Amino acid sequence: MVKRDERLQEELQFHLDQQIAKNIRNGMTPAEARRSALVKFGGVEPMREAARDQWRGTWLFDLGRDMRVGLRALARVPTFAVTVILTFALGIGAAVAMFSVFEGVLLRPLTLPEPDRVVRLFQINGGGNRNAVSEPNFNDWRDGTTSFAAMAQFSPWGQVPVAGAGDAQLASLTVVSRHFFDVMGVRPVLGRSFVAEEQQVGAAGVAIVSAEFWRRWRGDEAPQGEVLRSGTTTYTVVGVMPDGFDYPVGTSIWTPREQAPPQTGRTAHNFQVIARLANDVSLERAQTELSALSRQLKTVHGDRTSMIDATALPLLDVLTGTSRPTLRLLFAASLLLLVVACTNVSNLLMVRSGARRAEFAVQLALGATAGRIGRQLLAETLVVCLVGAALGVAAATAAVRLFVAMGPATVQRLDGVSVSGPGLLFAVCVSVLAATVLSLVTAAGARSVRIADALADTTRSGTGSRRQMRVREGLIVTQVALTMALLAGAALLGRSLHAVTQVDPGFSLDDGLILSFTIPSDGTPDALTRQVALQDAVVARLRAQPGVETVGLINAFPLSADGFFPNGTFIEMTRPDEITTFDGFDRWAPDVKARSGQARFRKVSADYFRAMDIPLKRGRLIDDRDAPNGTHVAVISQSLADTQWPGRDPLGRWIQFGNMDGDLRAIEIVGIVGDVRELSPESQPAPALYVSARQRPRQAGRASVIVRGPSPGTLAESARRIVREVDPEVPATTTTVSAALDVILSARRFTAWLIGAFGTAALILATLGVYGLFAFTVSQRTREMGIRMALGAEPRSLVWLVVRRGLVLASVGAVIGVVVSRLGSDTLAAQLYNVSPGDPVTIGGAIVAMVLISCLASYAPARRILKQTPGRTWRDV
Amino acid sequence: MATRLDKEAAAILQGTLDMLVLRALQLEPMHGWGITERIEQWSEEVLCVGQGTLYPALYRLERQGLIVSDWQTTENNRRARYYRLTPAGRKHLTQEIRDWQRMSRAINLVLQAAKG
Repeated sequence: MVKRDERLQEELQFHLDQQIAKNIRNGMTPAEARRSALVKFGGVEPMREAARDQWRGTWLFDLGRDMRVGLRALARVPTFAVTVILTFALGIGAAVAMFSVFEGVLLRPLTLPEPDRVVRLFQINGGGNRNAVSEPNFNDWRDGTTSFAAMAQFSPWGQVPVAGAGDAQLASLTVVSRHFFDVMGVRPVLGRSFVAEEQQVGAAGVAIVSAEFWRRWRGDEAPQGEVLRSGTTTYTVVGVMPDGFDYPVGTSIWTPREQAPPQTGRTAHNFQVIARLANDVSLERAQTELSALSRQLKTVHGDRTSMIDATALPLLDVLTGTSRPTLRLLFAASLLLLVVACTNVSNLLMVRSGARRAEFAVQLALGATAGRIGRQLLAETLVVCLVGAALGVAAATAAVRLFVAMGPATVQRLDGVSVSGPGLLFAVCVSVLAATVLSLVTAAGARSVRIADALADTTRSGTGSRRQMRVREGLIVTQVALTMALLAGAALLGRSLHAVTQVDPGFSLDDGLILSFTIPSDGTPDALTRQVALQDAVVARLRAQPGVETVGLINAFPLSADGFFPNGTFIEMTRPDEITTFDGFDRWAPDVKARSGQARFRKVSADYFRAMDIPLKRGRLIDDRDAPNGTHVAVISQSLADTQWPGRDPLGRWIQFGNMDGDLRAIEIVGIVGDVRELSPESQPAPALYVSARQRPRQAGRASVIVRGPSPGTLAESARRIVREVDPEVPATTTTVSAALDVILSARRFTAWLIGAFGTAALILATLGVYGLFAFTVSQRTREMGIRMALGAEPRSLVWLVVRRGLVLASVGAVIGVVVSRLGSDTLAAQLYNVSPGDPVTIGGAIVAMVLISCLASYAPARRILKQTPGRTWRDV
Repeated sequence: MATRLDKEAAAILQGTLDMLVLRALQLEPMHGWGITERIEQWSEEVLCVGQGTLYPALYRLERQGLIVSDWQTTENNRRARYYRLTPAGRKHLTQEIRDWQRMSRAINLVLQAAKG
């Protein structure tokens, strides 16, 4: 623009100079020539304005001017302006915040090269569920497919105690096979990757660590043979991964899988598989190839594999699978709120444009076109939307920060989510769309302005344009419908949350301290003896603390969020020494196989059931008589007894469960206890078998201790200290039963509260909307009411006239609301517990609430009719 | 007298300025000053194009794609902006002239009929 102005200046100067030259040629003196030329030239500035008008995008320029006018017009009605802008800001803020979270978690690409080519592969077993993979199956996949550039298996070991790297600590360790880092497309930034000599049985332990782990320990320098220790195993650090790489989520230490012997069992599903699609291979093609190969493997290996099919899924989908329905629901709810907010804004704008009919009429009379007035309305709406959107985005930024800080622990990838590019783009698109729709709706109401009518109207108050009234009533119906749907959803989620907290999980939810620690062990008898001694010592010292009533120990505590819940297949034996090897099912006779069953395998201390308040149903509990060298005993859950031995007595039967912990001694069932819902109150109780942690200490090095008695807060510090004193290299963490339960319920609670908040906001807006409409109607019909009263109408019947209209609108809205909530019921159903999406009580309650509130909101303005006297009404006219 | 003529000239130019500018550019590219001079000269000093209307008209015609401009050096070695007709401008001018001639013939016919 500046350059253009300069050129124009130069061009005009040239013109002037030519004129002066001509004047001189015609015999004027230079001074005279100049003055004359300037006079002839006229005002330079108006000319430049006129010239500029020709090159500016005139329409845009005028819109800008209209917006300035609109801004000034809004400033004259500050209450109106603030209301409209805040309403719009609320709607857009909620939508932008939810969109940003939705996008940031579910859509934002992973920070890997070509992240959409990274896929997770799963076996599909008999039940149809995705399953971990056995090594022989993985090897066949890797060697028998061409769709993948690289394929690797890994196995997260969870938190292991690590010594040698500063203070004793817990760190997540994952064992990875040869091509793991090729699949991820990420290399160590310091040091190097594993080399072939390190990837074989018997090689010295090596590790690659995460940047965060390394920074805490060594800073920025390259690794120089630093050694980590976990129990008796040592790892030399050879490489450090780049910042932010911690896959599988939270991993700090990666070690080569090949250092352990290959696994030969096709049913030992011990590995996760990840792969990178080859160039130009689509996910569908890879899926087809993998699936065909897997079905072929089933025909070749028959019973030796439980795999019937396989599936390939994008890594991102697998990572975010559990949070997807929650976030989708929240985003959908925020969009409903946005629409409710927009209907309110539209209603307010329409009231204002109604009040300005006279102004428009004057403009029309003075020659403005209808389009010109429409453009002015658009400009005003645009001002409202832009200012509202700016406020909304600011609010959304804060809201997203809050969401990231307080959001449910179960939502992955929340870190780093903010209102950024996509969120802003969304905000702009939605604002522009909203502004366009709003001004179209408003203009539709205003288009009926006829000069004569409108001018005449200024002196009398009629009922406003019938058409505008219809549009406004339509908006109210929409608002009521969407609000009802939101309220019904929030109520359903609230009832589900309540239902979940009311479930008896089978153990006491009274608060208690949960102390978790892992004693590293290489499985040698000495190490196991030491482990039992250390665990006994910790338990004994805790029991000696003042106020402590009972202390129980288990290797997989219910409610623990890390999801370590070992389960497997056992065999019922006819005599204790029937089976003394466990080489795989395929070698067993069919009659032995028929005696197998599935159960969760838990290792507990004698006091565990008392500490957890798990009732003994029959037989006896594990107790101190059950010494390590005595007969191994087990207590089973009621559901295992019912499913495995229906109508028969399980007590005294012998079990072989050595495939789980490598201990092949027979286990005798001595008691039956109540069922426990382990994962969360809403999970189903699963058949479980409990053995003594002292008799079978293998794979019980990782344990949680529940302490009942004193308030957990006072005990936490001393509990951790006790573990540290018993073994300084064993890091311990503490939590409480209520905190663990909070984590499990967090997503449900969070969703219910947030949608409840959206519903409440929508309800307030809808109430204001209904109130506003009827306040307007009543004020417009004052004269009519006055006439009716003068003619003898009962004031009550006039009030009823107004309220009845409110009732009709609310009822229509509620009916549509039922339809809307039916549409969303699929998304909602996944989040509900013990309540159906169409629950008549909840839906009915929401309908009644909406109708009642609409009645109140229309009654409040209608009451003013009662205060009118015919005389006053006439005078007002 | 001159002022009265100017006013009349301005009145006449309403609506026909674009055609006159295009016509002035028909033979060769010219700068704004040249166009005013050319029109004044051809109209035997009757038509005088004010700068206030000329430049907006030039920018308008340029925006409509009827003329294009570039900066060149004049014979006196000064930089000036030269305008020239585009093919669309040429076509437009032909059409304008045809319309004008039909119109002025019609008007003349009416005037002469009234005389007779």
